Amino acid sequence: MANMTGVQPAPAAAASLNRYARLPWRRIIQIALAIGITLFVVVGSFRTLQSNTYDASTWKDFVILGVAQGGIYALIALGYTLVYGVLRMINFAHGEVFMFGAFGSYFFATAYASSGFLNRNPVVALAIIFLVAMLVSCSVALLLERVAYRPLRNAPRLVPLITAIGASLFLQNTAFGLWGPQARAYPVPNILSGDQTWTILGITMQRIQVVVILTAIIAVACLSLFVSKTKAGRSIRAVAQDREIASLMGIDVDRTIMLTFALGGLLAGVAGVQFGMTFGQVHPYIGFVPGIAAFTASVLGGIGSIAGAALGGLILGLLESVGPPLLLTGFHIPSPFQLKPVITFSVLVLVLIFRPGGILGSDEPDKV
Amino acid sequence: MRTPGLGRQVVRAGLIGATAIIYCAMVGLIEQLDPRKIVGSQLSIAGVLFLGLPPIIAAYVATRPRQVRGEEVQPGIGEAALAGALVGLIVAAITMAAIGLANLLGIDTTRNIFKSVSPTLLGILYLHRSAVSGLAILSVVIVLLGAFGGVLRACSVGVRRPIVIGLSSVVGFGMLQRIIPTAMDQLGLPKAWLYSTTYLGLTWFGAVLTFAVAAGLTVLFMRKGSQMQRGIVWMTGGERQARTAEVIVLVVILLLLPFVAGTILSQILGSVGIYVLMGLGLNIVVGYAGLLDLGYVAFFAVGAYITGVLTGGLLITTLGLKAPAFHGGLSFFIALPIVILAAALVGVLIGAPVLRLRGDYLAIVTLGFGEIARALFTSDWLKDIFGGTQGLTKIPAAPIGSLDFRNPRTFYYLVLVFCILAAYIAWRLQESRVGRAWNAMREDEQVAEAVGVSSTRYKLLAFALGGAIGAVGGALFAVQIGSLNDASFTILVSITTLAIVILGGMGSIPGVVVGALVLIGVPGLLSEFQAYQLLVYGAVLMAVMILRPQGLIPNVRRTRELHEEERAQDKWAGDLVGDEDVVAEPSPLGEGSG
Repeated sequence: MANMTGVQPAPAAAASLNRYARLPWRRIIQIALAIGITLFVVVGSFRTLQSNTYDASTWKDFVILGVAQGGIYALIALGYTLVYGVLRMINFAHGEVFMFGAFGSYFFATAYASSGFLNRNPVVALAIIFLVAMLVSCSVALLLERVAYRPLRNAPRLVPLITAIGASLFLQNTAFGLWGPQARAYPVPNILSGDQTWTILGITMQRIQVVVILTAIIAVACLSLFVSKTKAGRSIRAVAQDREIASLMGIDVDRTIMLTFALGGLLAGVAGVQFGMTFGQVHPYIGFVPGIAAFTASVLGGIGSIAGAALGGLILGLLESVGPPLLLTGFHIPSPFQLKPVITFSVLVLVLIFRPGGILGSDEPDKV
Repeated sequence: MRTPGLGRQVVRAGLIGATAIIYCAMVGLIEQLDPRKIVGSQLSIAGVLFLGLPPIIAAYVATRPRQVRGEEVQPGIGEAALAGALVGLIVAAITMAAIGLANLLGIDTTRNIFKSVSPTLLGILYLHRSAVSGLAILSVVIVLLGAFGGVLRACSVGVRRPIVIGLSSVVGFGMLQRIIPTAMDQLGLPKAWLYSTTYLGLTWFGAVLTFAVAAGLTVLFMRKGSQMQRGIVWMTGGERQARTAEVIVLVVILLLLPFVAGTILSQILGSVGIYVLMGLGLNIVVGYAGLLDLGYVAFFAVGAYITGVLTGGLLITTLGLKAPAFHGGLSFFIALPIVILAAALVGVLIGAPVLRLRGDYLAIVTLGFGEIARALFTSDWLKDIFGGTQGLTKIPAAPIGSLDFRNPRTFYYLVLVFCILAAYIAWRLQESRVGRAWNAMREDEQVAEAVGVSSTRYKLLAFALGGAIGAVGGALFAVQIGSLNDASFTILVSITTLAIVILGGMGSIPGVVVGALVLIGVPGLLSEFQAYQLLVYGAVLMAVMILRPQGLIPNVRRTRELHEEERAQDKWAGDLVGDEDVVAEPSPLGEGSG
């Protein structure tokens, strides 16, 4: 990655460089790595497919599961991307914002389930549940911005990041203190429960997965419209481009940053309900792993880009559900899903090594 | 209110103080920590820290000196007392309103959502009396504490510091109730006058005495401190010798500690020691080289698992214990160099791909490496070597002759030796050419490269050295507990170590020791805290970064870096706004430790 630093060696140093130092080691290692990984992927998937461990319908299930999972990742990833865009910081606690949304809506969902409202009037009930989750997540995100991040807006880069890690731990354990460690069953209306399916374009899918995918698409569409068409959206883009100039142009930077956190929170709330209904449970630790995965997704798609976050989420969801059985079964590795984090993080590292700007992002050197 | 803006401050502080109390009640801190008494049967940790401290601090902060039209204005004692009492009143009013609301909704309903809002909690808030009289007393106490906080702020330093140190000592001695009485027993001293035998905390007499002695010593030190220092320098024959003498005294105390304290303390100190090692290692990576590594648990795991396998740990299978695929029967001290080399290698392997990554990306990627390490060590795939999620057991306890290091006291000495060694290495590194190269690289990588510091080489060196020290911590951990499983190697190890380094101060060696003592020692001593350990770590990370980014015992150079940008900003903002109160007041906690 010679383009990363752009610093030429000083003449004196250049003169003393020997032949080895002049070899483009980084390039060589990169190419070797690329060949190795390609081989691993090709051989692994070939052997898996040859061994016929899974039949076609299982693969199809993996793919649909991946798309639904990807929809959830995409919504959380958008929160990372938005905040990164305006503040150039990784909001490490965003996974916890998502968790609070899931938990907040859980209490409404159980209340509706026990009163029968959830099954009598599922559409209205779900709308309220989504709304509550969005509100809770949005308030947590705003609180986080006000208390933890605003005092550090001009601090050196590592300081807000460490604060964000602290905030993540703090929020997670606040939820632990408020609601206890046990997993609670998230109620799902009967018409969406696990064995109910819809057939769309000849593909049979679980209804809940259809709902997840649809809400994700709607949310992403709304967000892109908001950011591209409205005045507030324009101010977000302006602040993302240059905070100081934006403030000179009369944009209230503080308010714009708050708006960004609020948007990220709203999307995280939607993702929280989706997660609760897909996996059927909530507990204080559900935020961490999806949070990291969603961050990976936003880097994969190109951090700072909205379409990129959506695309990255989708790809990562697919990689996580199809990757382990496809790549690892061929090498006779037992319980391949145990190694899911290995795949997630390998993807992150590889993206950062080979294309730090992500799939849709620009390769601007500042990013990495 | 003569001081302009004081009214707004009072309302704000009142709201924040009330939020703090309600938060502590709702997450269960008050209920969990109430049984642990500090003084007599009345003052519990919960009462002091979560009911008493919020109004004091809120009032203290609300009445701090303020910049008004370029002049610093400190509210007078009367005004500060009034303002503080008002803060207390707001805190009390909101707290009472919250209690009323919970009762109005019905305790059972509230409890269905917030599990900690229980009749027990209300009993504590009613001070174990009837609701009306208990709440009335609580409100009055909160108002008085607020007034006290205001007065404290308005006093001169000469009065304030002895009071603060005296009160902190009482709380500190109260919290050390598992150590000091045991030590007094060991030394054959009577203890009933100081510590109550029924409530375990200090007696009221003991508390007053502690306060008087601590406050008296503070006054003495403030008046005669410089003379005493000169005396010590004169006695030892020079500044340098005085420092050496300090170190010798410290080492002697450390060596004698397990004899005075009981087994429990030795065990806690052993764990503290392991985290001191980890902290020293991470400090090289984060503090010296400025690379935020969130996957430090990888080295801990490498150290523990390789030690386990090499010294002859056994796998737990459904058919009973079994020797792993690689079964070494090495002694701990022969295995250790191999472990260190392996960890250094892992450090280079982890460091190499991330060399070009900037700060925050580096953090996430290393976090990923930590998770990958855990996933690999505990996976079914490598089960034949590392035992999967069940892990390894029956790891021998590092025998030299007849010494058994699973005995907490012996183990303490083992850890102490490694800690001193690691601290020495870290100290020498800091002062060396390598340390200066890290400094340069941390401050500006491109400039450092331009003047000939190879960032590749020094980054890899930092990862390797930091990793090696962390792996020694892991190896000792394996020896200490004798069996390993997946629960010991989560991301929380990395975060705990990071919190230690941050609390102590990045780049500061004594800071690591203090950080480990506070963050590992206190939860070890007060078992009630353990459920809230992580909550506290999170709060510590946030609070230190926002209030005092240089940590408790700052490294001078690091402090300057952390404040440089901020100061420039303050100046800029100050010029623009002029007479508003933009000059930040150092945190109230900053005073005692400075």
